[in-house]
Amino acid sequence: MDPSEVEFLAEKEMVKIIPNFSLDKIYLIGGDLGPFNPGLPVDVPVWLALNLKQRQKCRIVPPEWMDVEKLEEIRELERKEDAFTAVPSPYYMELTKLLLNHASDNIPKADEIRTLVKDIWDTRIAKLRCSADSFISQQEAHAQLDNLTLMEINTIRSFLLDSLNCMYKLRSNLLPGSNKGQFTDY
Amino acid sequence: MFITDIRKEFYEVVVNQRVALLVAPDIDAICACKIIQALFHCDQVQYTLVPVSGWQDLEDMLRFYRYFVLINCGANVDLLEMLQPDDDSIFFICDTHRPVDVVNVYNDTQIKLIIKQDDDLGVPSYDDIFRDEDDDNEEGSDSGNESEGSEPSGKRRRFDEGVGGTKVRWFYEGVCDKAISKLALMFHSFLRREILFDYEQYEYHGTSAAMMFFELAWVLTKDTKDMLWWAIIGLTDQQVHDKITHIKYVTDIATMQRHVSRHSHRNEDEENSLSIDCMRISFEYDLRLTLYQHWSLYESICNSSYTSCHFKLWTLNGQKKLQEFLADMGLPLKQVRQKFNSMDMSIKENLRDVIEESANKYGMKDIRIQTFGVHFGFKNRFLASDMVHAIAALLESTEKEESDSDNFIKALDSLSRLLHSGIDLAKKKLIAVQQTIASCICTNLILSQGPFLYCYLMEGTPDVRLFSKPMALTLLCKYLLKAFVHSTRNKRCRLLPLIMAAPKDVEKGTVIVVGIPPESETSDKKNFFGRAFEKAAESTSSRTLHDHFDTSIIELKTEDRSKFLDALVTLLS
Repeated sequence: MDPSEVEFLAEKEMVKIIPNFSLDKIYLIGGDLGPFNPGLPVDVPVWLALNLKQRQKCRIVPPEWMDVEKLEEIRELERKEDAFTAVPSPYYMELTKLLLNHASDNIPKADEIRTLVKDIWDTRIAKLRCSADSFISQQEAHAQLDNLTLMEINTIRSFLLDSLNCMYKLRSNLLPGSNKGQFTDY
Repeated sequence: MFITDIRKEFYEVVVNQRVALLVAPDIDAICACKIIQALFHCDQVQYTLVPVSGWQDLEDMLRFYRYFVLINCGANVDLLEMLQPDDDSIFFICDTHRPVDVVNVYNDTQIKLIIKQDDDLGVPSYDDIFRDEDDDNEEGSDSGNESEGSEPSGKRRRFDEGVGGTKVRWFYEGVCDKAISKLALMFHSFLRREILFDYEQYEYHGTSAAMMFFELAWVLTKDTKDMLWWAIIGLTDQQVHDKITHIKYVTDIATMQRHVSRHSHRNEDEENSLSIDCMRISFEYDLRLTLYQHWSLYESICNSSYTSCHFKLWTLNGQKKLQEFLADMGLPLKQVRQKFNSMDMSIKENLRDVIEESANKYGMKDIRIQTFGVHFGFKNRFLASDMVHAIAALLESTEKEESDSDNFIKALDSLSRLLHSGIDLAKKKLIAVQQTIASCICTNLILSQGPFLYCYLMEGTPDVRLFSKPMALTLLCKYLLKAFVHSTRNKRCRLLPLIMAAPKDVEKGTVIVVGIPPESETSDKKNFFGRAFEKAAESTSSRTLHDHFDTSIIELKTEDRSKFLDALVTLLS
């Protein structure tokens, strides 16, 4: 999967906006949206929120978890635990990037939030690398990882699968006289 | 006719239509174009952007569209006569060129002017200059009142019925002789010619087009900091290229300052401070040294017109004075020749005040000027005048073989993206300008022809290709006149205007000729060369091309140069 595909999926998440126009309820394939009244908050998917923001038709309200104190707590928790902790949102990385790139004037302390989210991401990816490393070196058969987001899985997926395939080929070619002992070219 | 409510009469009309945007190649027009493009993007209006550099480009566009928005072109000529459009085409003109042609003012149907009416327009009243054809047969006079203004006189135009309905019928009273009424007619047509001549004689500029469109955005409450910054650049362009008087500039700066404070009050809040990447515009009372924050201080002083003229940096004496000036301020030469960003912080802190104090001692009272600066991110800090020079250099760059529209699109893009290539080009251009000025003055290339000064750039001059473009040549012309006024001892020559000619196209054998008004402290920047050039060309039947939107810039065949000049001399003496 491409990271841009993951971002596309992230745009389905709902976010609160405050429009400055009025429109009746609209009926889209994915669900109903609206009605829109100026000054009243309404929940819309992120793709619509960004489009309206770029056309200066709304103000985006940052999600509840996008707050400096909450993110600092999550970061401390992540650093203490060995396993993965619960994430504020299954698409926290993509949402941070999208909202901070397009609507940073609506989000207070945007620079600190960006730094905190990056710290959380770095910690989690480091844990993922260690875990993958120990999985391979101890030749485990299965592993269970809770609380991983799609973006993190996507980051490590191709590398992990390719390296496991490689290891399998090397191992199977070492066994003497076995049926699988032929060189297979890619 | 003039538009009074810009939202109802302009924006709501075009928002549901396909529009052609015709934009002239100057910086104010580019900024105005950016603002209106942003508004169109918000409302998803279909438009076509066409950069036009002369009247001939305009004529091709007519067939496909009904609604046209003309930016910085079209107000000072009779548009309907020149273009012969269809009867249902509507033209919205936002132009800084004055005087506005009287036909454009009094046409009610097809031409709408997005121009503020409290600018000093001085349009003659309708009754003074227009007369309907029916009145040719009807003669007469008011009871005893045969003097000016009582009988409407004018020329035929295609008018709406509503306008024609104001014709007043005058009837015979008593036994008026036909001869007397014929005399009256002749008198009135003479008067009409006089009024029109006075009105159209001087060319000057009005409020910036970018500011007009920013007001539109403000009325629609869709104004953003980007649009405000573009409007500021449009205004600064008028000041850098000397198109408006200082008083008008200061008044417009005050208007912009209100908008800037409105947009930037949110930055003050400590609790919710904005991200460093957001654009911050601030009012600056900054130095008149061009590009000094992107160059070294020394280079900037050498290449800014203000300082170079006051020090007379083309003489040895001037160079010594500059060294004295720097020593007086206590700035070591090593620091001053470094890139500005690498200078010591201790020097940079009070730089403006230190320079202002020393400059006062050397006779430069106005080294500081009110302007605005922007910064976003940690690296990008620009003053409005920096941006103007950079965009001008990009717009008229002769580096690679690119067409005019490519340069236009690049300049348009550079308003949203970073400008460093533009700044480099601007530095080269300014250095070339200073060197050309130095050589012109030292080799006495400026000749006094009687009623004006004249200078011709020969073909072999270095960087002469840069000066084949109108804006660059006009800038050179203005700086050269300033330098000349400071260097000459002849008091009479200081009050003369300047005409400059430079080769434009070597294969076709044409030169580009530019005329600017005389340099003075209280100049009102009114230029009479437009009409003078037209008359001189007619009288000598020289092969000229009056294609440019500024009537004081024309193209001329090299062979006709001398007879054209002689005609001008006789005309103006």
